[in-house]
Amino acid sequence: MAVMVIMLLGVLLGYRWFPERWGKWNASIQVICIALLIFSMGIKLGSRENFLSELTQLGWKSLLFALLSILFSVIFVYWFSEKWIQKTSQKTNLGEEQSDLKGERL
Amino acid sequence: MIVIAITALILGVVCGQWLFPADWSRWIGILSDYILYLLMFSVGISIGNNKFVLKKLREYNLTVLLIPFGIVLGSALSGFFCGVILNMPFSVSVPIASGMGWYSLSGGMMGKLAGPEAGAIAFLSNLLREILSFLLIPLIVKYLNPYTAIAPAGATSEDTTLPMMIKYTSEDVVVLSVLNGMLCSALVPVMTNFFYEVL
Repeated sequence: MAVMVIMLLGVLLGYRWFPERWGKWNASIQVICIALLIFSMGIKLGSRENFLSELTQLGWKSLLFALLSILFSVIFVYWFSEKWIQKTSQKTNLGEEQSDLKGERL
Repeated sequence: MIVIAITALILGVVCGQWLFPADWSRWIGILSDYILYLLMFSVGISIGNNKFVLKKLREYNLTVLLIPFGIVLGSALSGFFCGVILNMPFSVSVPIASGMGWYSLSGGMMGKLAGPEAGAIAFLSNLLREILSFLLIPLIVKYLNPYTAIAPAGATSEDTTLPMMIKYTSEDVVVLSVLNGMLCSALVPVMTNFFYEVL
């Protein structure tokens, strides 16, 4: 619960007051925090006695998660896009306004 | 990011296995609470500060939301299936699947919230999802349709897998891909927390 509240406070700060030019610093903080969390997870993993023997099993479980999450996402998006998006895009031509977007992202 | 994330993981394992005394892990646990809070605050700022998505959403009609909606639905549902197959609590399996390819955040968060094993699976499964997306995007464009090629990429469709979208799809699909990645990225921490606490 505390995590959700803290995140919401962040959203509010970001929406109302946070200057966009500080975005790079904010992104760096995220990278550092993520690296530290993964490092601490690694410590906990490594301090298990039978860590190496567990590793293969973790790999298989992970592969199942990856395959099923891709499969289900593909099924739903394919279904939705065939049913609604294809038709809508033919009518409204979604491709009209992407030039400014490309400039910003790429 | 991949280099930083994998280096951090390997360094952590090496330190945990051979270098650090066992009682250090308690202190590291306490410290990582605060790191998670700082991370969530910072991610929140990014979400709130991203006016670009709101602007673009107003320009397009709501059908663009169907892609992220399908990905969110598919990912969460796969979490339930994996939970049943692997005999894992839904409060762990559904948040893992909600990582939608953002392995670093998902791995870091789940490692802190649900323990190192869940964290490792979140990290590895979402990394695999990203890698498999690279291989699948051209095939999906060819055999299904270009919009569906965004589906495996999930939250990564705005950055790491975007070059593949640019190469194999048209410009309008690339715009949808960027929008989808931003929305899914914002939803990863929200869904991870939500499903971990509610299920």
